[in-house]
Amino acid sequence: MDIIGNLAHGFAVALSFQNLLFALIGALIGTAIGVLPGIGPVATISLLLPITFGQPATTAIIMLAGIYYGAQYGGSTTAILLNLPGEISSVVTTLEGYKMARNGRAGAALATSALASFFAGTVATIVVAGSGPLLTSVALSFGPADYFSLMLLGLIISAVLAQGSVIKSIGMVVLGVALGLVGTDVQTGQQRFTFGVPELSDGISFVALAMGMFGIAEIILNLERPEARSVLKTKVGSLWLTKEEWKRATPSVLRGTLVGTVLGILPGGGAALSSFGSYMMERKVSKNRHLFGTGAIEGVAGPEAANNAAAQTSFIPLLTLGIPANAVMALMVGALIIQGIQPGPRMVEAQPDLFWGLIASMWIGNVMLLVINLPMIGMWVKLLQVPYKFLYPAILVFCSIGAYSVNNNVFDVYSTVLFAVFGYMCNKLKLEPAPLLIGFVLGPMMEEHLRRAMLLSRGDVMVFLERPISASMLAIGALAMAAMLLPNLRKGKEAALTG
Amino acid sequence: MKINAKDVASGALLILIAATGLWLNQDHNLGSARRMGPGYMPMLVFYVQLALGMIVLAMAFFNGPDPLEKWTKADATMLPVSIIAGTLAWYFAPVFGSFFENTYNALGLGMLVGFLVVCYSMGWRLLGFICAAMCIFSLLLEKGGLMLALAATIGISALAEPEHRARPLGVLGLTIFLLAMCWWIFIKQLDIRVAVWPLQY
Repeated sequence: MDIIGNLAHGFAVALSFQNLLFALIGALIGTAIGVLPGIGPVATISLLLPITFGQPATTAIIMLAGIYYGAQYGGSTTAILLNLPGEISSVVTTLEGYKMARNGRAGAALATSALASFFAGTVATIVVAGSGPLLTSVALSFGPADYFSLMLLGLIISAVLAQGSVIKSIGMVVLGVALGLVGTDVQTGQQRFTFGVPELSDGISFVALAMGMFGIAEIILNLERPEARSVLKTKVGSLWLTKEEWKRATPSVLRGTLVGTVLGILPGGGAALSSFGSYMMERKVSKNRHLFGTGAIEGVAGPEAANNAAAQTSFIPLLTLGIPANAVMALMVGALIIQGIQPGPRMVEAQPDLFWGLIASMWIGNVMLLVINLPMIGMWVKLLQVPYKFLYPAILVFCSIGAYSVNNNVFDVYSTVLFAVFGYMCNKLKLEPAPLLIGFVLGPMMEEHLRRAMLLSRGDVMVFLERPISASMLAIGALAMAAMLLPNLRKGKEAALTG
Repeated sequence: MKINAKDVASGALLILIAATGLWLNQDHNLGSARRMGPGYMPMLVFYVQLALGMIVLAMAFFNGPDPLEKWTKADATMLPVSIIAGTLAWYFAPVFGSFFENTYNALGLGMLVGFLVVCYSMGWRLLGFICAAMCIFSLLLEKGGLMLALAATIGISALAEPEHRARPLGVLGLTIFLLAMCWWIFIKQLDIRVAVWPLQY
């Protein structure tokens, strides 16, 4: 089947009533958490995971994906109107967007951000549709050694790009892999590190780990910081752009889309990194760079296009190779595995409904988000006035019911509590939880591929260097590690990630 | 020398977990590089982790200062006190009735007591109340039903926020709203298999 035929099939799947409904729910939840500071997509998706078990896999993934890219739309609203980034990826939007709002062009900034996101989302959807099957055919020629090296590369890059110390992040990745070892050894059936607890024989619960370290730990940390929310004073004003603004924004949107599409595919990349990348680029190459800092529309258009493009293309490594590029994608892997689907190159053929349905729903979701965000902007501004003290009991209650209902077992709730304490402790020690989650998801797959590769090579470690794909992955990984040891680059990364 | 206390603790944590893992891994057959046994991958992983922990620890002496948050005297004393109280509650839980003869219910009681005791000090209060709220949820759920468990969870979690303590009526309203919402989502729509109201014997 050609791409057009596949896409038509995808639209048929995505346009079913149930999938449309859940794409809309996902987009609405995504926008809501994007608008609300203090709740991110990782926490939200982990606390909604248990609810998705009862649904078909395609519907579940469509909804979860909607949350991720919906958050990119919503996050910019607060960034522009209140100078408060709802998401990390919209931190740079505050720089120019809030200035534009102060200049009385809030409406124009909101429209630019929504339209740029929509355009970038459309392009990214086409890229995912085109490159997915292509990469899949490449991936099918991967041997176990290549897979192992690719996953190792993914782990290294996710650690290198994480905030803070690289060594500590690698430590967290390895700790995640170690936690992934708990449970029954697949090949011999032996129980490892289960302490005789029957609930641990299937491994540590993914939901408990993600919910505890992201959902619950975040509640405690948010409560520790006193709330700082200014009341909306700026008027939204006209949503229409002037001719001049159109002309200035268009090239930035194109560049931002390109940056986001590329950075999204990279392992360890994602929405946050791309919006910073795009802002840096605009400040260097834009014709109106002297206007930056005073409310330049280019500084809104570029990063907003980039973060949405990246949110979508970061699905490519997941859908073609089964490798999560960031923490949100690690949650998607968890959701797929719980549904009984092994993510990997065979998914395109084995699960055409899921693959093409997801792609089609991404585009539909973007159309919905455009409607949700532009005409209904007032509603989201109202939502901002719900204080956190009313939100956190609701999140806690959802987490508790969610954790219990995975296996109808109180053990999972207690595990969640223990991981919450652990996540809180990690935060206090400046240990990043996101690399741990990626390590936890990839660990068991890596062990399997390592054992298979070594069996095939009769115990010869050189197999990892003799196969060209594997060798080049390892070389890139080594380069990435070496690059971070250079003080200049490290400073650049810190500047980019902290804004 | 400027010591980075956060990194010292992080390094120590990594080393501690790796050492424990290597010790536990003695039970597993290593096998050979060609035919790896169940203990081979854990051995690799924990050795790498041990090495990383040592690097973090070594570098901590040069990249500081980054001190840990100050603990008050109460914070420092309440931590061991609560751990002891929790362990005692866990150990003696079966005394309080046949319900606590179940391993996890006993564990839950121990955790609940521990988290509530630690709330006595300001530094641990938020962590303690939030975690205690989740523990009481799972203790109450199976016998007391969803509604009772939720009400208790919301009540305890509200203690974490000073503004809620000043206005109990607001918490009551919030509880009623959340109970209705959870009933609609989880019982009416998703139909999860739990008791809604307290079981009657």
